[in-house]
Amino acid sequence: MIKLQHVSKIYGKDIVALDDIDLSFNEGELVILKGVSGSGKSTILSLIAGLLKPTSGDVLVDNKHISKLPDHFCSQYRRDNIGFIFQKYNLIPTLSVKDNILLPLVPLNLDEDDLYAKLEAVTQMFSIEHKKEITVKNLSGGEQQRTAIARANVNNPKIILADEPTANLDEKLSKEFIQILKELKSLNKTIIVATHDPLFFDLDFVDRIVEIHNGKLDRKVACS
Amino acid sequence: MLLTPEVLTINILNLLFFIFASIAFYYSVKIVLKYDFNATTTLQYNLEKQSYLVAIIIKFIFYIKVLLFIFFIFTLDNISNILPGAMCGAGVVNATEYGNYLLILKIINLYIFAYWLVLNSEDMKSEKQKYLKLKFKVYIFAYFLLMLEIGLESMMFFSIDTKSVVDCCGSIFSTTDGTYMAQLLNIDPAILLSGFYAVFAFIIIAYILKNRYLFSLMNLLFAIVALVSLIAFFGTYIYELPTHHCPFCLLQKDYNYVGYFLYIFLFIGTFYGIVLGLISFNKEDENVKYKISLFFTTLYMFFVSYYPLSYYIKNGVWL
Repeated sequence: MIKLQHVSKIYGKDIVALDDIDLSFNEGELVILKGVSGSGKSTILSLIAGLLKPTSGDVLVDNKHISKLPDHFCSQYRRDNIGFIFQKYNLIPTLSVKDNILLPLVPLNLDEDDLYAKLEAVTQMFSIEHKKEITVKNLSGGEQQRTAIARANVNNPKIILADEPTANLDEKLSKEFIQILKELKSLNKTIIVATHDPLFFDLDFVDRIVEIHNGKLDRKVACS
Repeated sequence: MLLTPEVLTINILNLLFFIFASIAFYYSVKIVLKYDFNATTTLQYNLEKQSYLVAIIIKFIFYIKVLLFIFFIFTLDNISNILPGAMCGAGVVNATEYGNYLLILKIINLYIFAYWLVLNSEDMKSEKQKYLKLKFKVYIFAYFLLMLEIGLESMMFFSIDTKSVVDCCGSIFSTTDGTYMAQLLNIDPAILLSGFYAVFAFIIIAYILKNRYLFSLMNLLFAIVALVSLIAFFGTYIYELPTHHCPFCLLQKDYNYVGYFLYIFLFIGTFYGIVLGLISFNKEDENVKYKISLFFTTLYMFFVSYYPLSYYIKNGVWL
């Protein structure tokens, strides 16, 4: 479903983030990208999301050449297919939970009933419905994380990308997040998590752990 | 050398166009030679980024150039006030040996630049950028025309001598001196009008048949016939003077700046008509372009027809 073929990414003139990577992800798979900071995990997520173009190589999603898409088509592809959960949530602090979640739907010009049906569905799913009207800056870290997850899922994307999703959470909230991941996997979504949090490495529902070191794949570990 | 604020503005803009268009030209050649949509090499990704940026540069140059055409006409008209003998822009155009070539080239360029803009817009709408190579090839061709235009424009303004007496439009567009212009102006009005309305009728037929090639061809013909008939026939009714055939005086306050409206209607109408034959649009876009074209050519047709009709109704005779 997702294929990276001979992908290299060089920032500036000589900062090699990825070096001739070949990697694929199957539909419905949950894969952990493991590696220290600067190993290239986030770059892989950004390439799959179409936020970055590779320096060379090809990124395919459902046989579509994402790396060849012009920018405005990338936005459309992202809107339709990708839910991105960022390390720092990237919420708009002055907007309410409701407005943050509905933001990705604005370009779709949906009618109000559809908008609120989608809002209700995701806020209930991620236990944030009682905070809908609260401004995001007044939420706790865990609530902000759940808002970010709800926003990533409001379009019902088939691919969820999470970049260091528990970096700003304590252990209890991190475990809550892992529970949410399990629920998302049960919905047959393809989930790729870039993390160096050890909590993710022994989970029974994780399909694979891919280790990255200095922009290269170190090894692939299959989990039962 | 003539250096009014308007000429200075045009010269400074030309310098900027020269610099940016030349940079764009360099990259366009590179893109045409090396771009391969299916390649996933570093060179190809760099070319993709460059093509996007270069297309933006060209887009801005051409948008400004299209709009500047009106400013150019306005400048000619303004300069005529300081040129002895000139009554309108026609005198300025004829003040040097470059003026007529420049004006013809500007009109051709206007259509080519506008064509590139539509081509670029269609290319950006397509996921696989199906017109990418074509638009840069067209640009390479347009670049030479642009450089020629800049050169002729600079030479024209450089050569104008404000102390020499120039011909006024009355003698340039005279029907009696045996020139090509005189022959053109002496075409029988019945033939001219038959041609004008027949071509317009064919535009309507092509629209009904939704035959974009016929529609395009008829619009090209209409642009030519409309200009000739405006100078030779309709203009005389705007001036209400049978011997006055100038296409520039229409742009003056005395005639309510009607020329700007006529030329803009004619350009928009015929351009969108012509472009339908050159680019394959999706059905929805094609329909919009048909309608824009037809709306403006019809507006033009009614507008120019109004003057002789109103003259006849008021006076009971033709000029």
